[in-house]
Amino acid sequence: MKLFLKKTLVFLFILLAAALLLDVIYTAIISQSSERNKVENVIHSKNKKFDVVFMGTSRANNHFVPEIFEKKGYKAFNYGMSGSHMFETALMLKLMMANNYKIKNLIMEADLSICNEKRDEGTTARFMPYIHGNEIIKNHYKNESDFYQIYYIPFYRYIKFDNKIGFREMYDVITKKPTNTLYNKGYYPLLSNRKGKMNNDISTLKPIRNKYYEEIKRICKQNNIKLTVVMTPMCENTKGLEYFEKVNELYPEIHNFENVVSDDKYFSSCGHLNDEGAKIYTNFIFNKFFDDSKSNTKI
Amino acid sequence: MFFNSLHFAAFLPIVFILYWFVFNKNKSWQNSILIVASYYFYACWDWRFLFLLVFSTLLDYFTGIMIEKNETISKRRFWFWLSIIVNLGFLGVFKYYNFFVTSFSDLLNGFGFKVNPLLIEVVLPVGISFYTFHGLSYVIDIYYKRIKAEYNFVDYSLFVSYFPLLVAGPIERATHLLPQVKVKREFSFEKAKEGVHQIIWGLVKKVVIADSCAMYANEVFNHQQDMNTLSLILGAVYFAFQIYGDFSGYSDIALGTSKLFGIDLLKNFNFPYFSRDIAEFWRRWHISLSSWFRDYLYIPLGGSKGGKWMQLRNTFIIFLVSGFWHGANWTFIAWGLINAIYFLPLLLLNKNRHNLEDIDFKWNAEGLKTIINIFLTFTITTFAWIFFRAKSITDAFAYIKNMFTNLKFDIQYLGNERYAPELLALVGVFIIFEWFHKYKNEPISGKYENVKLLFCIMAILALGVFSDYKEFIYFQF
Repeated sequence: MKLFLKKTLVFLFILLAAALLLDVIYTAIISQSSERNKVENVIHSKNKKFDVVFMGTSRANNHFVPEIFEKKGYKAFNYGMSGSHMFETALMLKLMMANNYKIKNLIMEADLSICNEKRDEGTTARFMPYIHGNEIIKNHYKNESDFYQIYYIPFYRYIKFDNKIGFREMYDVITKKPTNTLYNKGYYPLLSNRKGKMNNDISTLKPIRNKYYEEIKRICKQNNIKLTVVMTPMCENTKGLEYFEKVNELYPEIHNFENVVSDDKYFSSCGHLNDEGAKIYTNFIFNKFFDDSKSNTKI
Repeated sequence: MFFNSLHFAAFLPIVFILYWFVFNKNKSWQNSILIVASYYFYACWDWRFLFLLVFSTLLDYFTGIMIEKNETISKRRFWFWLSIIVNLGFLGVFKYYNFFVTSFSDLLNGFGFKVNPLLIEVVLPVGISFYTFHGLSYVIDIYYKRIKAEYNFVDYSLFVSYFPLLVAGPIERATHLLPQVKVKREFSFEKAKEGVHQIIWGLVKKVVIADSCAMYANEVFNHQQDMNTLSLILGAVYFAFQIYGDFSGYSDIALGTSKLFGIDLLKNFNFPYFSRDIAEFWRRWHISLSSWFRDYLYIPLGGSKGGKWMQLRNTFIIFLVSGFWHGANWTFIAWGLINAIYFLPLLLLNKNRHNLEDIDFKWNAEGLKTIINIFLTFTITTFAWIFFRAKSITDAFAYIKNMFTNLKFDIQYLGNERYAPELLALVGVFIIFEWFHKYKNEPISGKYENVKLLFCIMAILALGVFSDYKEFIYFQF
């Protein structure tokens, strides 16, 4: 048995050594990259200045066209992230402020994401390589139930989020494989239009007082950022559209623009406008809140 | 609790310590702690089905004793059939009831009778097919006086519920396992070390090979209509390695875990994809099930004693039953039928007992013939797997049709952001690795074992699929 316990210790040592070695290698390689996604792009950039920044979930990423603002003379970028929740949006904003971003206007999509305070696993993965080197990220995840595993067990984070920051991602970083995340100033146009009638059911969603939304409001106030929060369109056949009114009751400052675009032909899926719809919607936002002359905003 | 979960990683060392350091006074203590651990292990799936496990254990324990105690044939027969009917009855209700009812109502609807079948909503108790077959083999062996009934309930309970084999086998025999649980186990360093290595290698097979292949195979099978010939061939090959890595990986972990407790389980896989004909494949694939069907179905039906036609009939019966054992779906029956058809020429030409010896590969004409035979056997096996994987017979035929009609061989980009052929390198390395260790239980032990251990651990950590978690396929059976 002694021999076996010795062998077990050797095994545990090999396991720990392998995990540590891999952790160091992965972190060193992945954290070198700055162009493959918006999270690393923000972490690696400093002192950026924007007239308008868009943030939110995929319903921001696919709905706000910065080019429309740029043409009118506003420096704009879409930092919306598909799949993300309010949890990650708040963290992104904190990282921007820490890296000395100067933002005049933040247009944030907050509708379906108001109903939860959970993290999104896919987006969370993007922050994980930096959790040891960045206090803001560390503190943001501190209250998560698996924080200790993620933070203290070597390589655990790469195992847990292996489909986003695993071997393939490391290989893609090494081979400098490009992504299209930062194309079109961060806007990702959806070009398809699904055939047939669209529908969706959001009747089970319930808006809550979202602490990350409150945090975003606080950050904007502290940094003199004009925050405009909007709801974005859903297709006509959505069951439970009264959800948007409930969000409005809870947060009257959130503009309900859910029905600004409603025809199915402007949608790629029920919750996502296609490129044509996104342009209509962005133009509407611009006309509603901004003047053609760069210097004045209506808000 | 899955073998590849953190839960199991914590559970196993605790049981190991209790077993060897606290409850090691005698075999009763050892068996008792293993039973408690096994029941906890099973309760982690669904505690309600513990009652089923207990009932099954009690049923076979008492019927076994009653068969032995009664000397009149009619009474022995009564207890024997009671056990068979109740065991198969449970299996039938949980696993096959809905299938039979739906199939029957479809048939009636086909004849113009409108029937609304009464279906039951019930979860299939995990491992029921395995522990039912355990119990059946025990009762059948007693009935035919091949073994004595076990009077020690604790020993018998462990035989049925021993956690390494409880949910997905190997399907043990009383003749093999019971003698081991009836004596106090002494710790063997070599056995325990081999056990750890086998667990590690099983994990490589599961999380590196099977789960990686699953990502590609699922994408191809789920979007078969958009796939070209190359992708469809690759999809089938990936599934072949998915199911092999998954099930043989599970078996390796089970065997390795059991070795830690000083108990040897039956070998379940013996490098089946290196088989030179389909008969050899079935001597190497899911050995414990194949031999179960041979001993408890094929031979009682007459085996090959009644001439060629009897042999053919019995072969078709065991393959159809074997297919049906896997699940209540026509796809599994078709898979069994296809394998029976593959067997046909070997039976007719009396070649089903060829290739009994290990592969002795040499770089000459004979070696080339061996490679060609292995390749052909793998090809037909993979073809049959299409039916096993497909959701329905229609899907399986559509898959095969697309394979022969979408005659394009360009590299396709799959929906999960992966190129179809990119996994071939990993599969290729795995095949080479297995080839060079094909005479061993696990490839880690031996020269440079710490280096090999390091590589395996690195492979599990770096190449394993964890976030896109997949259950072991055979848990559903």
